[in-house]
Amino acid sequence: MTTVTRAAPTLLTSPGARLVGKRLLMAVPIVIGVSIVTFWVLNLIPGSAAQQLLGPEATPAQIQALEARLGLDRPAPVRYLAWLGGAVTGDLGTSLVSGQPVAGLLGERLAVSGELVMLAFVISLGLALPVALLAAHRPGRLFDRVSMLVSITGLSVANYVLALLLVLVFAVELALFPAIGFVPLTESVGGNLQGMALPAAAIAFPLFCFYTRFLRGDLVDQLQGEDYIVTARAKGIGPWQVLLRHAFRNSAFGLITVVGLNLGTLIGATVIIEQIFALPGIGQLMLQAINTRDFVVVQACVVLFAVVAVVANLLADLLYAVLDPRIRYGSR
Amino acid sequence: MTGLVGEFATPVAAGEVAEPLLEVTDLRVRFRTRGTVVHAVNGLSYRVHAGRMLAVIGESGSGKSVGSRALMGLLPETAQVSGSARFAGTELIGMPERELRARRGADIAMVFQDPTRSLNPTMRIGAQVAEAVRAHSSLNRRAALDKAVELLGLVRLPAPERRAVEYPHQLSGGMRQRVMIAIALAARPRLLVADEATTALDVTTQAQIMELLVDLQERFGMAVVLISHDLGLAASYAQDVLVMYAGRAVEYAPAQVLFADVRMPYTRALLGAVPQLEREPHSLLPVVPGQPPDLARLPAGCPFRPRCTAADDACGEAPPFTEHEPGHWWACWHADGGEEAR
Amino acid sequence: MAVAEVAPTVLRYRLRYLDVLVPATVIAVVVLACLVGPALFALPEPTGGDVLESYMPALSPGHLLGTDPNGNDTLSRLLHGGRSSLLVAVAVNLLGLVVGGTLGAVSGHVGGLTDTVIMRLLDVLIAFPSLVLTLAVAQSLGPSRTNTILALAFFSVPAFARIARAATLRLRELPFMVAGQLCGTPTPRILLRHVAPNIAPQLITFGMLGMGIVIVIEGALSFLGLGIPPPAPSWGNMISQGQQSLSATPSLVVWPCLTLFVTVLAFNLLGEALRARWSGR
Repeated sequence: MTTVTRAAPTLLTSPGARLVGKRLLMAVPIVIGVSIVTFWVLNLIPGSAAQQLLGPEATPAQIQALEARLGLDRPAPVRYLAWLGGAVTGDLGTSLVSGQPVAGLLGERLAVSGELVMLAFVISLGLALPVALLAAHRPGRLFDRVSMLVSITGLSVANYVLALLLVLVFAVELALFPAIGFVPLTESVGGNLQGMALPAAAIAFPLFCFYTRFLRGDLVDQLQGEDYIVTARAKGIGPWQVLLRHAFRNSAFGLITVVGLNLGTLIGATVIIEQIFALPGIGQLMLQAINTRDFVVVQACVVLFAVVAVVANLLADLLYAVLDPRIRYGSR
Repeated sequence: MTGLVGEFATPVAAGEVAEPLLEVTDLRVRFRTRGTVVHAVNGLSYRVHAGRMLAVIGESGSGKSVGSRALMGLLPETAQVSGSARFAGTELIGMPERELRARRGADIAMVFQDPTRSLNPTMRIGAQVAEAVRAHSSLNRRAALDKAVELLGLVRLPAPERRAVEYPHQLSGGMRQRVMIAIALAARPRLLVADEATTALDVTTQAQIMELLVDLQERFGMAVVLISHDLGLAASYAQDVLVMYAGRAVEYAPAQVLFADVRMPYTRALLGAVPQLEREPHSLLPVVPGQPPDLARLPAGCPFRPRCTAADDACGEAPPFTEHEPGHWWACWHADGGEEAR
Repeated sequence: MAVAEVAPTVLRYRLRYLDVLVPATVIAVVVLACLVGPALFALPEPTGGDVLESYMPALSPGHLLGTDPNGNDTLSRLLHGGRSSLLVAVAVNLLGLVVGGTLGAVSGHVGGLTDTVIMRLLDVLIAFPSLVLTLAVAQSLGPSRTNTILALAFFSVPAFARIARAATLRLRELPFMVAGQLCGTPTPRILLRHVAPNIAPQLITFGMLGMGIVIVIEGALSFLGLGIPPPAPSWGNMISQGQQSLSATPSLVVWPCLTLFVTVLAFNLLGEALRARWSGR
């Protein structure tokens, strides 16, 4: 024990490691809190679950029998702890409707939602970086003004509105992409990407606008307000080098944080987009479960969404800690 | 601002023959923002000679910093610059950005006030110096880094090899300013502008940095423009002194001449505000009364008039900046007092 | 010289307010149209239409924007739906402003354990993707306008609280706050008289952006059938209903989409303009 604690300080007291540890410790209670809130929210109307499953014609005896079978007659804290105990070991219960294990249901659909999120993320960030850099290169010029106009417009378009417009234009009018229809990646990569193109675009565009606006604004702030930019220019290096090596390096840290905070919105968007394009992802599963009152599945989906958001945020923090020398090496 | 061409004849220090390295004539800078126009520099003229140090003295907002940044095109796009600045015979004002860039760092280099904010917090020290080296040479990355370490040694940064791989936040203020000087020296500039380079440092470090600057100046035969609000600093290190007020020159002379025979009431007021040993202990330090003028609403006539004890009706017209005595220039109607006034 | 400077200055002065005036006017027009439009233009009821009058094209007599599959007047549904959307958005943002603002200001001002407890609880709520949590709440409570407001408050309260807390913390350092505390002014009085007026601009600015966000999420809830229950109109359930005949009558989707977009854009532009103004940039 003593040898461990004596060896540990050099590693554990390094500022980066300490930050990582602190963030990890903060994420655990948040994840537990998330599951409690979910459990509480889905039990806002106590005892109604069995009633709603059986429908209005059910007799009190039938309801009681079902509640006993599902364990709904136990007090809420007991039920929560039982659920948590199962969840930790990977047992998320069984679907009330299909009778299948929930963990298995989620696993099947995770790949679809994951692919959608990754595609949207890569597209939005991949486009936002060059556009923001070009806009910040000459603030106030035509390209900057057009890109800012497009981005404020894009930020005001709800993703479901955009999705329907994309369907209207690219599927109905031009027939370039299928409006609905999912082809698994294992079956045909081309077919899969064709089916994913419109939903990914519907999620990616508002995000692209958001990232572009944020990054362009931060870059311009750096270029106009920071002294080290003047130093860099006074060296006699070119404007692109000033932008990329100096302004962007510093703006990137703010962008990482924003991207991390924003990933929650990104995965939330999959719910409605999967519904519109009939993609068999987690979001669609959650909506089906909501409509069939399958609260075991709803609960697992909601917790999963929240946990992914927390983890994304945590990863952004960690990335920040790894990349920023002020945190990596601590202050003097 | 009557616009007499004769007013802007460039001052020449006593006994000087050589062609000046930098000759600034009637430099004007104004900023336009949201309908207001700020006149930051209003007809500034001076000369800097190779191997000499010129101190440009003034309160904050007197245009001393803006005037020097204007030479290298380092002002924001809202700035409108006119007038002339000839460096070794070449006009800098109005020079295309690309050509100007080739001269930044190579001809004129700058060291800024706040070394904490003037270095990129996310880049290693060595890389920041090497970047300045590579901007004006064809050295490869490796060779430029070696050169950077050499430069860090030149500015007497302890353990330069180790410091080169550190980040700015790991260095002290004085060390950071040495790094800034190393960056400035990277392309062996002929003129170094030190813009309040020691203001943010404590007194001991300030002296060390000044010694370093003087040493490097002698070693490389550079000209130095020392921009400061500190007359004491000018008296200790500079050969020539230019006093600025509200964006224009108000007094100019070699240091010995100026401090022996102050003519302009503003310079005198500034001198009065410097603590002196012969003054009565515990007496109140005189300050320059009033506020520096609002550069968006400059008064007609002499800009110092509202704060000047000698002001009268004559001051309603701006006094020309002319050479009243050999090598001694000033802009004032009431400078006759000279010696007696002290 | 002076004369030449004045004219462009006055013009520029007027132009400076355009960024606020234009979106504010658009919002005023939308709000007025939704509130008094149906009565003013004697529009038919938004529900209970005649199926024989279904799918009428735009500019039909008596139906400026045509009718939906149930024969209801589209314009009437659009304006009545707007009432719902705006009412929900205003209620959610007011709830957020009052409850969240108070929580955040108290948390930031009092500090200590109170702060830690409040903020940790709100951290948990913020961790949820907003649509997912509101969906779960809406499902649990059942679809109705009141429940939609409650569900959306789960998102707005923590968001406002965070902004109020950050603003209060920045304020706490200022001399007049320290002075107030040293004088022994009671905490509620400090919060009401000194903190509230100073953090209000930031909260109101966020409220403008929040209006846009809430209108979008409310639309999503209604689109998914968990918000305003049909047949009562809302922009979200109109889009959802129109989606079923998207290829045949795209106009049923286009009108509510366009209205939603213009309204949200106006709120976003107003929020941005206010932020630029109040942050002094």
